[in-house]
Amino acid sequence: MKIVFNLGQKNRSRGIRYIYYVIAALLLSVINILVLDFIAVGTFTPDFMLILCVWIALTEGQFVGIFAAFLCGLLFDIVSHDVIGTNALAKTVVGFVAGWFYRENKANVIIGSYRFIIIVFICALVHNLIYSFFYIKATDISLVPFFMKNGIASSLYTTVFAVLAMLFKIPRK
Amino acid sequence: MQNFINFVAKYKEYVSLVALIVISLSLISMGDVTRIGGFRTVVVGSTGWLQNMFSWIPRPGAMQSENRALRELNLQLSSEVTKMRNAVIENKKLRDMLNFRDKSEYPVIAAEVVGKNTIEMRNYLTLNRGKNDSIDVGMGVRNDAGLVGVVIGATENYSLVELIVNRDIKITAQVQRSRLNGILTWEGGEVFELKNVPKSYDVKIGDNILTSELSNKYPSDIPIGYVVEVKEEAGNIFITIAVKPFVNFATLEEVFVIKHLPNPERTALIKQMDELLRARKGLIKNK
Repeated sequence: MKIVFNLGQKNRSRGIRYIYYVIAALLLSVINILVLDFIAVGTFTPDFMLILCVWIALTEGQFVGIFAAFLCGLLFDIVSHDVIGTNALAKTVVGFVAGWFYRENKANVIIGSYRFIIIVFICALVHNLIYSFFYIKATDISLVPFFMKNGIASSLYTTVFAVLAMLFKIPRK
Repeated sequence: MQNFINFVAKYKEYVSLVALIVISLSLISMGDVTRIGGFRTVVVGSTGWLQNMFSWIPRPGAMQSENRALRELNLQLSSEVTKMRNAVIENKKLRDMLNFRDKSEYPVIAAEVVGKNTIEMRNYLTLNRGKNDSIDVGMGVRNDAGLVGVVIGATENYSLVELIVNRDIKITAQVQRSRLNGILTWEGGEVFELKNVPKSYDVKIGDNILTSELSNKYPSDIPIGYVVEVKEEAGNIFITIAVKPFVNFATLEEVFVIKHLPNPERTALIKQMDELLRARKGLIKNK
């Protein structure tokens, strides 16, 4: 018996996009290792993986975004030597939040406009709030001052790099 | 059944979110990262190789800062060397008189920093020495100025060091002059904090802070920093001590790995107690 997989053009292009996402995630992991120290401002570092998660959620929708964000977070946990699951959890929520802003066939417009910056900033705030919660659990620092000092600054720094990500927006047909 | 499938299909985003959050929390609750130690070792090896490739990139700012720090340190050390020599002679005489055993100095392995990672208030170094040079997980790392961190991963040719400027760090430290012990933490910024020290304790600005003999993680008597501020709050019986580290973490290029591993029996006992406490907490929660 011969099984023939008849993939449509749409599915094929989606498959290729997924491969690109995997490559991008791996590439950002390497960048994370090599470049982050050069661009760190004090203890604040941008979160490239978060930008990728938002990008995927805006392009593919909430459902795919959640899973992609979870896998990106897991990869980030492994590469950054963090407690496994912390970034996975924070980024899963980011995928969910960013998915709210998904509009079918409008990904180009959203990513290419100031809306993308705002979405990244909102997602970064949510991410850092969840992440801060895990951080302060291990210490006796209070959540609000810690988040005001570190969470917002890191979110702003990540948002700055979201502007660069806009340059790679998908070309319009 | 069909209704359930329809429900899942309708709210697949929410169901996925909940499922993935549960998975994440389960992974977090595992806590012990050594369960994926083998995979992390591969990551350490690969990242070490990559960072080594890019270690040639000069950092003029860092070099300038290091030169200045070294000059200051040199001046300070040269004046201390004379005092130390006298102290060593005096100490030897007194020890001989009291028949005390000599404190052993741990051998060290010199290593070059080939990579640095700064990720959300956690800092790591990659060194160009690994298991082939007898470096093992758990060994302390210092430089000429003081304590740098601890080895948390090692491959044949590289090792990964968790710096003490790390949000998770807790160091059992002591004030050199008064021998007061405390827990040193880092919350970002340039100073460490020694918290919950009673006001009546003898701590002064300028006091040196060393690793304590009570610590099983770090070898004892390694300089960490000096007291720069003693914060007293009205109505509070405790003081907070700000400690500035001796090590300039921004300019680390060469370090020494201390060939000393924590006592395995002591470590096992602490781990056993830790697990027992966790299990008890779990039981209380389950009740």
